[in-house]
Amino acid sequence: MRVGVFICHCGNNIAGTVDVKAVADEIRKIPGVAHATTYMYTCSEPGQDEIKQAIKQYNLNRIVVAACSPRMHELTFRRTIEKAGLNKYYFEMANIREHISWVGENKEANTKKAIDVITMAVAKVMQDKPLFSSSFKINKRVLVIGGGVAGMQAALDCGDGGLEVVLVEKSPSVGGMMSRLDKTFPTIDCSICILGPKMVDVAQHDKIKLYAYSEIEDIKGYVGNYQIKIRKKATYVDWTKCTGCGACMEKCPSRNAYDYFNFGVAPTKAINIPFPQAIPKKAKIDPNYCRQFTKGKCGVCAKICPTKAINYEMQDEIVTEEVGAIIVASGYSLLDLERLPEYGGGRYPDVISGIQYERLLNASGPTAGHILRPSDNTEPKTVVFVACAGSRDKSIGVPYCSNFCCMYIAKQAILTKDHIPDSQSYVFYMDIRSPGKGYDEFTRRAQEDYGVKYIRGRVSRIYPKGKKMVVRGADTLLGTQVEVEADLVVLGTAVLSNPDAARLAEKLHISYDTFGFYVESHPKLRPVETNTSGVFLAGACQGPKDIPASVGQGSAAASKVLALFSKDMLESDPAVAKVNINKCVGCLKCVRTCPFQAIKENQLRDGRIVADVIETVCAGCGVCTSTCPCGAIQLQHFTDNQILAEVNALCQG
Amino acid sequence: MSMEMLRDVVKNVLSEVDVVIGYTEGFDKVHATPLFINTPEQVDRLIWSPICVHNLTTYLPSLKKKVGIIVKGCDSRTIVQYMQEGLINRENIKIIGIPCSGVISVKKLTKAVDYANIEDISFEKDGKINVTTDKGQKTLALTDVQPDKCRTCQYPTPVIYDHLIGDPISSDKPKESVYEDIVEFDKMTLEEKLNYWLKEFDRCIRCYACRNACPMCICQDSCIAETREPHWISQRLTTQEKLMFHMIHAVHLAGRCVECGECERVCPMGIPVNKLKRKINMDMKDLFDYEPGVNPDDKPPMYTFNVDELKIKEHKIG
Repeated sequence: MRVGVFICHCGNNIAGTVDVKAVADEIRKIPGVAHATTYMYTCSEPGQDEIKQAIKQYNLNRIVVAACSPRMHELTFRRTIEKAGLNKYYFEMANIREHISWVGENKEANTKKAIDVITMAVAKVMQDKPLFSSSFKINKRVLVIGGGVAGMQAALDCGDGGLEVVLVEKSPSVGGMMSRLDKTFPTIDCSICILGPKMVDVAQHDKIKLYAYSEIEDIKGYVGNYQIKIRKKATYVDWTKCTGCGACMEKCPSRNAYDYFNFGVAPTKAINIPFPQAIPKKAKIDPNYCRQFTKGKCGVCAKICPTKAINYEMQDEIVTEEVGAIIVASGYSLLDLERLPEYGGGRYPDVISGIQYERLLNASGPTAGHILRPSDNTEPKTVVFVACAGSRDKSIGVPYCSNFCCMYIAKQAILTKDHIPDSQSYVFYMDIRSPGKGYDEFTRRAQEDYGVKYIRGRVSRIYPKGKKMVVRGADTLLGTQVEVEADLVVLGTAVLSNPDAARLAEKLHISYDTFGFYVESHPKLRPVETNTSGVFLAGACQGPKDIPASVGQGSAAASKVLALFSKDMLESDPAVAKVNINKCVGCLKCVRTCPFQAIKENQLRDGRIVADVIETVCAGCGVCTSTCPCGAIQLQHFTDNQILAEVNALCQG
Repeated sequence: MSMEMLRDVVKNVLSEVDVVIGYTEGFDKVHATPLFINTPEQVDRLIWSPICVHNLTTYLPSLKKKVGIIVKGCDSRTIVQYMQEGLINRENIKIIGIPCSGVISVKKLTKAVDYANIEDISFEKDGKINVTTDKGQKTLALTDVQPDKCRTCQYPTPVIYDHLIGDPISSDKPKESVYEDIVEFDKMTLEEKLNYWLKEFDRCIRCYACRNACPMCICQDSCIAETREPHWISQRLTTQEKLMFHMIHAVHLAGRCVECGECERVCPMGIPVNKLKRKINMDMKDLFDYEPGVNPDDKPPMYTFNVDELKIKEHKIG
């Protein structure tokens, strides 16, 4: 065994607080280490060349690089040593940057810790076994979860790239949040006018198969070969027959159904088509309000329907689709008004959320585009907007900025003036965040051309006074308390992750942060990838995002899928669990604990039952190895003995 | 219960299975020994008394035959646990349950008679034991020489059976008493506990009797304590290595130990090895509301992968 150890200075990143020369001197003393050296930037081309030359010159057969996180450069160096003729799993990376030089300032302690960490890596590399990947075929279809603007963009780009796309949307129509918006900032162009054509493209694209009003039930498989179970929720209307004529909606006697599309600004019918441009434009019954379901008799829609599409007996249906990659564009939700009691959220009808106001502004909304306050249907003359309603507020559990509220509030203030010229708008804000192209000019236009009064400060309380709502808050620029008597208050409510975001993440085996937003592979360099290969992110499911960013991510995720599918075969990762059939006692604990269903029962020729790992399905999580009582199932490249070697090196050194 | 009835039932069961496992007299009057009955003639050798201490179910997973088996309440829990873990095929097993009012602990008995040679022993209905030793006659109460598990027994009647010999008995011991000693033990500081175990395990001779008698130790010859691949512990006779072995044993039984007490009964060095397992069981009960070997439809918590657990909040957002 001839181990070569290469210690990286990483400029001053490591060498600044670790005495790399002393580390090399110490490591050289370990039995089995044939060569230890330092280099300015080991990951650079000359740095890698040095490794290759040293392998030849010193006849090295195991390599340790002590540098940054393996997430950064493990693949780089594996390729390097593979080019020099070694098995790429004869390689270990000791992280002396993120784990040592960046976290401690004491050079002496850092140097000692670096020696320990590298000693562990040397012990591990000596236990490493050569591993070999196998190739497998991939299914070149892609699943897009979510039919908002990001998901639609991803679906369209994939479809245009020649891939078959399965698009699953949980609500009855594609379009997402953007289809609810009246105008878009900073150009004030009509949201549905620019989105509508995209929605039609999705419906008409011959490569896109749309499942509207459907949800992901289950995901099995791995990159290249996923089996997706999709639950087509019962609409009680046969969509193959429904023409979207709307006759049922007109005649439906149940008028008090909650309108999900309009965020409850006004009630809708129990059978409804969410909005005129809906794709697919099909009716759906809400059984919570439909009299046929609540009272057991009515049947008006069934009588009126010219194509006899109504089916009260309809059940949810599970369909299976097979795909090779998944783009998650499941979007976001908004903070419930009820969670802002100090603003009277949910208590006073004239305190509404930004998205509700959007529906009041919209021509296809419940007020046909006239701004009327919900309490008495009169035109408000004074409108107060409260930015950061919940956002940047630790007590609400939302310490982050919701990204686009500053901008839509400016837009809504401008539109208010357009709709009601004698109105006056006020905006309570903490900071104006307008870093996009043309964004800052836009917020200035609201203030300078439209006379919107911006008050820097937080609102402490909103309460009714006669027909008015009193908004009391601080003006931190003037250092005084202010009170504005408003006819209508619009709260820029915080952006949250979807309530079921965690559930979906677990089905996908991707990570999410404490707020339920999905975690990308690298915040800068891999923004649409996840740490699960074959799963990509687009849009606000990864964090609050405005329309251009979401569209950009949709396209980016599509390009990642197209790149992945440019090959016919993928290489499997051999660092997966493997059963030693001589030791396996067939208790099959592992089969039951495997979160990926990657282990199955196998009967040997002598009749003995043992466990068997399906290599491509195994994600290498190691749950089985910690479950197996006799150590018969071992995660390759992380076997008990390899880890014990590291522990021993640390504890005995 | 009557011996007649037991023998009749065993004869009946024998016609349906390949072997019936019961108890017979051992090398002396206080030791019973397992009896494997293949023919009706052997049925007469059957005995039943408080000396029938063994948990016979330990043979079940390895016997690939149709088996009839005599169980006490505590033993029956092992069968339920086997079923939960898929280690036996219930259809191949005929369970002859006997409601049990307690067995003896040979260790306690010999101590109670001052380590005199026991020549004869008889059990009265009222729980009295007449012991004849080479030093004379002595009458003891069964409750004084019972193993600890009988003192808090919650399941005197088997939890699962095909035939029940005699009338069911219900437990008169309070449920809270089961882990009273563990709760008390837990009051020690960490250091005190470590010292306690170091002292106890120092006596261990690594005979592995506890492991071999344990019905839930299913690794047989592949036990991690005697392998180099993976090499978790060596064969060195240090207290550290002994402690490590017992910790592995305890952790492998987390949420699986049916508390039959066989490990402790067979220990030649008198180490209270069941205490560790019961401590883990107590915690498992608290964390997962799970008790091993009670309901065949239960899922052992360490045998499943659940995204959400009642008392583990890591998946909650916000």
